[in-house]
Amino acid sequence: MPQGDLHLSDQDLILASDGELAPPRAADVREHLGSCWLCRTRQRDLEAAVSDYMHLHRDLDAALPPAAAPRAFLRARLGAYKSEAERAPVWHSFPAPWRWSLAAGFIVVFLAGLALYVRRPLERLGTPVPSSRLTPGETRIVTLDDVCRLPESTRPQTIPATLQQEVFSEYGIRNAGPGTYEVDYLITPELGGADSIRNLWAEPYSGVWNARVKDRLEDRLHNLVCSGKVDLATAQREIATDWISAYKKYFGTNRPD
Amino acid sequence: MSAIPPETAISMPLLSRVATGSRPSRLEEDVVALFDRFRGPLLRYLLACRVPIPEAEEIVQETFLVLFQHLRAGKSRANLPGWIFRVAHNLALKQMARAQRIAPSLPETHPDLAPGPEELASDQQRQQRLLAVLHALPEQDQCCLALRAEGLRYREIAEVLGVSLGTVANSLARSLARLNRADEFGGIHAAR
Repeated sequence: MPQGDLHLSDQDLILASDGELAPPRAADVREHLGSCWLCRTRQRDLEAAVSDYMHLHRDLDAALPPAAAPRAFLRARLGAYKSEAERAPVWHSFPAPWRWSLAAGFIVVFLAGLALYVRRPLERLGTPVPSSRLTPGETRIVTLDDVCRLPESTRPQTIPATLQQEVFSEYGIRNAGPGTYEVDYLITPELGGADSIRNLWAEPYSGVWNARVKDRLEDRLHNLVCSGKVDLATAQREIATDWISAYKKYFGTNRPD
Repeated sequence: MSAIPPETAISMPLLSRVATGSRPSRLEEDVVALFDRFRGPLLRYLLACRVPIPEAEEIVQETFLVLFQHLRAGKSRANLPGWIFRVAHNLALKQMARAQRIAPSLPETHPDLAPGPEELASDQQRQQRLLAVLHALPEQDQCCLALRAEGLRYREIAEVLGVSLGTVANSLARSLARLNRADEFGGIHAAR
């Protein structure tokens, strides 16, 4: 139907009937329909066409076969599909071209993982952070009093040479030059760290985050614990988990002096 | 006012909250429940899009096998009605492309609802005229009308057919205006 600018388009009339207009436009259309007999008549005509169409569409039902047989057929196919899927390995659920790509991917990932595992101790050489597998950190049972009243003379000063050799061996370090590494406690005994190989690693003297920097953190944490500003368990956990982050936190700097 | 009678609004059967790894028998029951709910609407839609009944039945079966795999893989259950119609529509396109390769001049198989010449009464004449207008509409317009008649919203129709919202609105307005004119020109509209 030709329409002047003053009247609504067929599209607007249908969209309004179907509740598909945006609210501001819907309000405009409602207002127009309220005062325009022509558009109201056109909308009713379109509604009548909808009604006609729905009758034709519903008449199609007469042509539809009963559902029982197709339903039974679907059940059978679902059953067959299900048992086939259960029998087939998961592998077969991927399209054939993907299988080779996936196989290649798995092999690459496996080899990479193997290489990482084998090289792991070696990669720790010269790094300031211990292997969490070899040196997760271990504590002994202590009270705050034990830690804070420990006389200087009773603090462990040296680690037996055999234990040091064991640590070097574990970390794959052969022929460590003098002054290169300190076999150090991850959780210092001054914070309740145990005298165990699981609490020891070969810490380099070189690099930004070296053994001397960690010593400063140990002193700072010891003071904070004994002044009641930091809980002993927290100090143990933080130094064992990531001593560099602990340093940054307690010294308020991203780089040691 | 709604252009579509309320009984055509899409309702969903009550489904179990199936997730990946759920019991297959439960999933199977859900799929069969959805089949019972959507077989009729899908068949009507496919017939309206001129897919012959045997092929339409097979497309519906395939649609629910795909749905089974979809749900079994734990994929989204959002807007399942739209998803089901979209899958059926795509399968129908494939089927029609196949059929055209095999027999390019397949006869139109829309069910013949017209009465014999001796039975023609005014209502039946009118119905024939409307059917003629309907069949003369572009295929996409017929599919659009059928989807709306099955209760899909414009956005869902646009997704099923892969067209814009504007195209859906234009198509519906155009088709309904033509159906309306068919009545006006037949002189029966005023007598209704």
